[in-house]
Amino acid sequence: MLAKQMLDFRKSLHNEGVVFCYSGYMTEDVLLSIGSVIKKKLAADSVDKKVVRGVFSVFVEQVQNVIRYSIEEDTGGQQNEEIELRYGLLMVGLKEDQYFVSCGNLINKKNVGTLREGLNHIQQLDKEGLKLLYKSVLRRSVPEGSKGAGVGFIDIAKHATNGIEFDFTDYDDQFAYFSLKAYI
Amino acid sequence: MNNIKIEATERSPDIDFNFAENNFSIRGESYPEDVSEFFGKITQQFYEYVADLADTELTFTFELIYFNSSTAKVLMGLFDRLDEIAEEGNKIIINWCFEEDDDNMEELGEEFGEDLEHAEFNLVPKETDE
Repeated sequence: MLAKQMLDFRKSLHNEGVVFCYSGYMTEDVLLSIGSVIKKKLAADSVDKKVVRGVFSVFVEQVQNVIRYSIEEDTGGQQNEEIELRYGLLMVGLKEDQYFVSCGNLINKKNVGTLREGLNHIQQLDKEGLKLLYKSVLRRSVPEGSKGAGVGFIDIAKHATNGIEFDFTDYDDQFAYFSLKAYI
Repeated sequence: MNNIKIEATERSPDIDFNFAENNFSIRGESYPEDVSEFFGKITQQFYEYVADLADTELTFTFELIYFNSSTAKVLMGLFDRLDEIAEEGNKIIINWCFEEDDDNMEELGEEFGEDLEHAEFNLVPKETDE
């Protein structure tokens, strides 16, 4: 039963083209170790260097977005909430000749509107538009909150040569589940 | 001012700030755990130093393999400040080195460099080490 269950799980990941999957707390240590595994795996598969760089960049920004969000979001001293926000699901895969990095995490419902708006905007921009937005956000003196669509998301869009997809779904009264997939 | 020399780690770049020779460089990978902790002090020292700079030739070399978006903020700040001190009458040379097959790093150099109005900017392709 156990093996069957795990195998089914593995098969469903495989069907989605997932090469690598992590579910758990996003920390800087996790970032460093998984990052090096991903780089080695892609290099071993003789993936084009440019694609490896793109996948790695998107991976770093995805994970750091989750970490930063869990720190910056005011949890009113509620430890539990901080832990919830840090829990992420990350996948790297290959489907129809396109690499992808997708990431899912909980966010506070009150942040959904701003984030959706920001990402809609980013999604519509062409290369030149992304560059201009990237530079203007980099020049902002106040630290931009990850509650909107900060420089991390713009960076992801710049590397996602085949576009980004994102979505939100209700989790409970307080949280929504957010997912972003970038195609490289 | 004392020179600053910090060795690279897997996720933070090599820093070589030679104030005596007006030669500065940042090389390697940059996605430190805490960008302000890593760059805060050294950029502050750099900004203090250049505040009184006059009639000086200064070279700043960037040779980055990868940097994250938080590092990009630091780089943007350095570029803007370097251009200002060039406008104030100093000769500022910025070298942006990249592996010759790394189009993305070359493009990032172009993006940062295109806003410079006073500093001299060089894109320097390097042979890729395998």
